[in-house]
Amino acid sequence: MSPLHFSFYSAFTFSSLGLAFHRTHLISALLCLESMMLSMFIPLSIWPVENQTPSFALVPILMLAFSACEAGTGLAMLVASARTHGSDHLHNLNLLQC
Amino acid sequence: MTYFVIFLGICFMLGVLAVASNPSPYYGVVGLVVASVMGCGWLVSLGVSFVSLALFLVYLGGMLVVFVYSVSLAADPYPEAWGDWRVVGYGLGFVLVVWMGVVLGGLVDFWKVGVVTVDGGGVSFVRLDFSGVAVFYSCGVGLFLVAGWGLLLALFVVLELVRGLSRGAIRAV
Repeated sequence: MSPLHFSFYSAFTFSSLGLAFHRTHLISALLCLESMMLSMFIPLSIWPVENQTPSFALVPILMLAFSACEAGTGLAMLVASARTHGSDHLHNLNLLQC
Repeated sequence: MTYFVIFLGICFMLGVLAVASNPSPYYGVVGLVVASVMGCGWLVSLGVSFVSLALFLVYLGGMLVVFVYSVSLAADPYPEAWGDWRVVGYGLGFVLVVWMGVVLGGLVDFWKVGVVTVDGGGVSFVRLDFSGVAVFYSCGVGLFLVAGWGLLLALFVVLELVRGLSRGAIRAV
């Protein structure tokens, strides 16, 4: 594996582990989601360069558009949580807890 | 030049590790900014400057600005930075997981270094990424309309999620 491929592969792994082992804040988990999107954007942009296929350069732009939608939705849920529970601590989201 | 690109790649990985070790959100955003700056530098070094500019404008200038002022909703009395033992422990744990994966998966040929830049296939009239994104408006116009519709729909989704005092689906609990 080339060191550059390893770099964004491990970046994706770090951010998905950071999302899985979240701690106190909802927004830290949202930031890990954002870094997953970033670490997917970079290889999607490098793909048309390495394979010299210009038409694939459309895909990272499309991914950026949909990740903006996702970020907006996540932040709206953060605002809803802050207005309902007073903070964005994840232990407040315990409706399904037995 | 190759080593500069590898340095940018390593700093990108370290920036993402800084976000993933889940410090207080004030410091996590710093890691994300560093990672996206390194990623943009990496793309510019390879020659695809258009997608790098799109990343800067949309991601850093749009999405991260919104994240930064939303971080104000997450206030800690004692914010944990990267010197805190909990954050360092998480960071080291993630590095250990990736390292174990590398060792067990057998990362052969790690010394084979090389980058293909945008002029690897010869010189053309239009740059590779400019011509590729222009396809979005000509052959890929269906995708363009779907993406625009999705963005408009996301506005209404956000409106419904943060609607009023106790009206709406999510605030009624």
